[in-house]
Amino acid sequence: MALEQELEHFASIKADLLKNHAGKFALIKGTEFIGAFDNPQNAYQEGVNRFGRESFLIKRISEQEEVYRNLGLSLGLMNARL
Amino acid sequence: MPVFDFFHWNQQQGDTLTDSGPLIQVVVSMPAALEEFCTKKGYQIPAPIPGYALIDTGASATAVDEDILQQLSVVPIDLMPTATPSGDGKSFVYPAKITFPGLNLTDLAMGRVIGSKLKWQTIDNKEIIMLLGRDLLRYFLMIYNGPGSTLTLSY
Repeated sequence: MALEQELEHFASIKADLLKNHAGKFALIKGTEFIGAFDNPQNAYQEGVNRFGRESFLIKRISEQEEVYRNLGLSLGLMNARL
Repeated sequence: MPVFDFFHWNQQQGDTLTDSGPLIQVVVSMPAALEEFCTKKGYQIPAPIPGYALIDTGASATAVDEDILQQLSVVPIDLMPTATPSGDGKSFVYPAKITFPGLNLTDLAMGRVIGSKLKWQTIDNKEIIMLLGRDLLRYFLMIYNGPGSTLTLSY
């Protein structure tokens, strides 16, 4: 799966990241933590500068992971015909 | 504070706001940082992809059709948990550059959009490629005028 190694590495260093960079965005390539950035755009710019079109992880450093919630999409309500 | 009205009506179907939902035109492009890199390297830049965004107050974040993101040669930057009434899952997160021509908003750098299988056509043949969620709606004042079949947005 894409980003599997990076996600595992993020999980393994999350406690340290929370101590030092809470609220920022971590840039990780493979098992290397590149840095923490104030916003995802800056992290992406640095990732592209270093790795071009290769994949890399940008993840918010927070105690509780961000969750995407969508009620209508999963229920098919957007295509409903009454 | 500019105000934009989007009239949802045509001669064949009449009111389309009820059936299709509140729509605005959108153009999705490769992120600027990646475009700059590809230009320097002499790689081909995929053409921006136009379509429509459905305003979705039920979505916590903006989602873009994943096939389109892949057509733009954008690779995922994160994997995010998803929570829906039909169950939990995970979706890839991508960066993208978004333009809303009808709002005079160009080249918005979206650090994170959700990749999702969501492309479909409305009854008046508009192709929906994006769900505009609350991460963007937080910047807008919106009026859904059902009787007038009109969407009004201001920012």
